[in-house]
Amino acid sequence: MAVLTTLWAIGVLLPIMSLVLISFLQGRGLSFLWTFSFSAYASVFVDYRIETILRSLRVVGLVTLIELALAFPFALWLAKGIREGWTKSILLVLLVVPFFLSPAARTIVWRPILGREGLINSMLMGSGVTDTPMDWLLFTEFAVHLGLIGPYFPSMVWPIFISISLIDDELIKAARDLGATPLQALRDVVLPLSVPGIVAGVIFTAIPMLGDNVATTLLGGGRVSLMAETFDDLVRAMNYPGAAALGSAMLGAFLVIAIIIVLAFARLRSSATNPFESMKA
Amino acid sequence: MAKAKTGSAGVSRRTMMKGLTAGAAVLAAPGLIGRAKAETGTIRMMGGPTVALEDWSLFEAETGLKMEFTPFHVDDVGALYNEILVNEAGERFDLINTLAGVQKNLVEQGAVAELDTGKLTNYGGIADTVKRSPVLYQGGDKDWSIPLYYNADSFGYFPEKLGLPRPPEALDWDLLLNSEETLGQTALDGDFIALMIGGMYLKHRGLADIADPANMTAAEVKIATDFLIERKQAGQFRTLWKTYDEQVANFVNGEVLVQRCWEPAVKEAKSKGLDIEYATCSDFHINWMHATFMPVQAAERENVDEIYKAMDWFLGGSYAAELAIFRGYTGSRVDLGLEYANEAGWPEDKIAQVEANIVKVDTKFSNPNYWIGGAPDDLASHDAEMARFRNA
Repeated sequence: MAVLTTLWAIGVLLPIMSLVLISFLQGRGLSFLWTFSFSAYASVFVDYRIETILRSLRVVGLVTLIELALAFPFALWLAKGIREGWTKSILLVLLVVPFFLSPAARTIVWRPILGREGLINSMLMGSGVTDTPMDWLLFTEFAVHLGLIGPYFPSMVWPIFISISLIDDELIKAARDLGATPLQALRDVVLPLSVPGIVAGVIFTAIPMLGDNVATTLLGGGRVSLMAETFDDLVRAMNYPGAAALGSAMLGAFLVIAIIIVLAFARLRSSATNPFESMKA
Repeated sequence: MAKAKTGSAGVSRRTMMKGLTAGAAVLAAPGLIGRAKAETGTIRMMGGPTVALEDWSLFEAETGLKMEFTPFHVDDVGALYNEILVNEAGERFDLINTLAGVQKNLVEQGAVAELDTGKLTNYGGIADTVKRSPVLYQGGDKDWSIPLYYNADSFGYFPEKLGLPRPPEALDWDLLLNSEETLGQTALDGDFIALMIGGMYLKHRGLADIADPANMTAAEVKIATDFLIERKQAGQFRTLWKTYDEQVANFVNGEVLVQRCWEPAVKEAKSKGLDIEYATCSDFHINWMHATFMPVQAAERENVDEIYKAMDWFLGGSYAAELAIFRGYTGSRVDLGLEYANEAGWPEDKIAQVEANIVKVDTKFSNPNYWIGGAPDDLASHDAEMARFRNA
């Protein structure tokens, strides 16, 4: 146990602490000045970078919500709607496939579909729906949203699927026997019990997505600047304190958001875990 | 950029980075972290993707060496510095190819080995205008790198679709940066070469007082960026590209009518049947050269003679001739290239292409208005302004 704790401290805590430490140093050329300073934070949090951060949070927030809306019914169907067997196994394997493809390969396929002379525009123009190609399909925020949905779908489905699978079928049957409609059983039994999966899914989806620079580079066309690119920029300019300052600030923000989510779900769960409470009266 | 040390209080960032990652390193398999051992008989080279011919069979047949080539987007100077100075690419590569101007910083940081050009048979015959070109860095009047090939860059365009003449008839950069006709159908570099183009445009038209568009001050680069942001917000640019493949795809997928790009992208799009030309410009060009250097770490390796042999091959006739056909670039020993093509009994049309290539570069280089693609001293301002441009 002590060994594991030590490894964790070295492998996880030390780099994070180094990040925070570097964010309070000043860079000079290829070296550091060992004086405590907020200058890295001041240089990073300027108007256009703040805009980029806010845009990233908005895009990631929206895509995460879309993922949740798509993944929950899918995970529910996968866990409770189909029997164990080939279909289920194949679907589960298919969910893993995106992890085998390079992020660039699975994103670039959108370009010939969304482009000015792409599949969608050709179909629309061929069928006479429109005369001119719709430029907004590619190199826009729309394209970036679309490009992000596919790769992060499994990250949302898996935890929710596991947590719904763990719900005892008897509980759902009992709810139905006691007169709950399917919707009530879903709302009062399945949803509260799948909260841990939803929380995990949101975290596994949103956090890596904040660091995604593939969709924005390949589908944003330099017009949709997101935070991951800002890190790239700062590291490229060898502004390590700046990159560390941005990283530390994000770390702080994530911690706050994670605590809020956990507290909110805990509250939701405690108020909803006992659907029979209202029947006592 | 400052020197590696800042007096006794400063700690080399490289040392610090190494220290910080030491903990993680012990967890990793030693085989993954350990320095790659120099393997004789193999040359490991990092460079722009356009350095490579279709394959390395010619190199391997003529030198008896194997080539392990790793492409790198060398125009992205910040990323390149990072790879060489922080990630110590010299530990992993025998040869590194870059834009010719960027060696200044690398030499100052001690990353480049001084060359013994006496070991290169083909070096002496390089024209002085190339060897001592203002595009190439030669600090302390020393040879830090070999000039590999050069060109004068502009943009690709569809002459038929736009009703425009073909080269050598000249166009100007308004077509790309400032034109109602091409609004929303042009593309530009996604790195700070875009800002330098903006700077050159403003300077050439007398719209701003910019001393050297290739090495702008923080105030100058801001003016250039403001101009580009204004054009971006007017809807001029369809996209900003980051890779060579994107340049080709933008032409092939019909995303653009005009695109700032590398000449090989036009060649490749042409080979796919598109009617595209690479512009000759009346206002200015981007004159650049690619140079190849030996990292200091490699100078100590046992395969150093093989490294010189590989360098000499790049200065030979076969590379110059093949490159002219494949990429449209001019090698530093284009005379040997022409000789090679004749001796190998190439068909006349191919020989004509090599000759036309020499004329093209001579014409473009005789235009007094050009700037040198290299590295600005104030890298941080350029990167910050580029971020502002992308965000706009």
